[in-house]
Amino acid sequence: MGLKIGVVTFPGSLDDQDALRAIRLCGGEPVSLWHANDALNDVAAVILPGGFSYGDYLRCGAISRFAPVMAEVIKAAEAGMPILGICNGFQILCEAHLLPGALIRNAVRVFVCKDQDLRVESVDTTWTSDFTAGQIINLVLKNGEGGYVADEETLRRLEGEGRVIFRYVNGNPNGSFHDIAGICNERGNVVGLMPHPEHNVDSLTGPTQDGRLFFSSVFNFLAAKV
Amino acid sequence: MRTPRMGLQPVQTARNLCERRFRHQVTGRARLPAMARVVVDVMPKPEILDPQGKAVTGALARLGFTGMSVRQGKRFELEVDGELTEERLAEVRRAAEMLLANTVIETFNVRVEASPESPDEAEGDAEPTEPDESAEQAKSAEQGQSANQAELATQAG
Repeated sequence: MGLKIGVVTFPGSLDDQDALRAIRLCGGEPVSLWHANDALNDVAAVILPGGFSYGDYLRCGAISRFAPVMAEVIKAAEAGMPILGICNGFQILCEAHLLPGALIRNAVRVFVCKDQDLRVESVDTTWTSDFTAGQIINLVLKNGEGGYVADEETLRRLEGEGRVIFRYVNGNPNGSFHDIAGICNERGNVVGLMPHPEHNVDSLTGPTQDGRLFFSSVFNFLAAKV
Repeated sequence: MRTPRMGLQPVQTARNLCERRFRHQVTGRARLPAMARVVVDVMPKPEILDPQGKAVTGALARLGFTGMSVRQGKRFELEVDGELTEERLAEVRRAAEMLLANTVIETFNVRVEASPESPDEAEGDAEPTEPDESAEQAKSAEQGQSANQAELATQAG
C-alpha cells in the first residue's frame, strides 16, 4: 500500500475525484475526507481540491475555510504536514491565512480555461522537490477568480524568501501580481496554486504529465521522513 | 403617507436606538426590544483591481452614462436580536472582520440603521458623520427609508 493522501470534499467541490484518481495513478493510497468531519483519518498529506465550494458564495473559499475539517487541516499544517491547495483549494488556504494574499476575479473578466505554461521558481517545498528550478511545465488552468494579489510588503517577502514557486509564462492569464501562479508558506509544507496538477497525470486526459511530479515529490518527502 | 426625508437618520448610537425603542411600546407591558438592523458595507480596497466595477463602468458608458466610474462592494444587513449594546456592536465588527470581509483585499464599515418604529423622533438627533461619507450615507438612508416605508405599508395593509 502506498502513502495515504487525503482529499477533502466540500459541498461544491469539483475536482476531488480527479485528485483521488491522480493519487492512485501516482502510486499513493487516496483517502476521501468529508468537510463536516473533524478527522483526518491518519493521512500523511492533504489536498484541498478545485471546484466551487459553497457556490463561491461570499468569496471563494470564505465559507469552506470554517468547515470542521479545516480546524484539523490548520493544526496539521502548523505541525508540518504537506498540504496542497489547488485552485479553490488555494483560495481556501488564503482565506484560512495558511498562505498570505488573496485571489480575486480575473483581470480579463472572463473565465479562463487553457493549457498554461509555468516556470518552476522554487523546488524547496514538500510538493515540488522533484522539479528542477527554472523548468517550464504545462498544466491545466481553469478559473474565474485566479488573480493573485497581496500588499507590497507581502510580495517582497514572498520573492525574497523564494516562496513564489510557480510563475505564469507566455502571458499572464488572470492579472496575478508578479505573474504568480503558486506560492508556499514559510516552512514549505503548505503549497497553493491555481493550475491543476491532478488533470495532468495521464496521456488520455492531459497534454502533459507534469502533474505527476507533485505527487512523486510528496511521496519522496514522506518516505524520507519515515 | 409620510413626508419624505423625515423618517430616518443614517447614524445613531446604539443607546439612542434602544431608548427610542422602549419609548414606543404600545402595549405598555415590558417586552424585548425589536430586532435592530446593523448594516455592514464591504468595499474592495482602492489599490485592489475591481473587475466587476470595471465591467459595470463599461456598461454604463455604453448606455450613455458618461463620466461615472464604479467600484462594486457588498452590503450586509444583520438583524440583531436583543438590545443593541456597544458589546453587541463590537461582536458585529468581529463577525465582519472574521467572515464578511477579507481585510487583505477589502475594507468594511459597520453602522446601525434607524428603527422604522420611530420615524417622527429621529429627526434632528443624528450623530455627525464624516464629511466625505455623509453624502453616501444620506443616500443609503434614503434607500433605507423607502424600504422601511414599504415595510410599514405592508404591515398596514
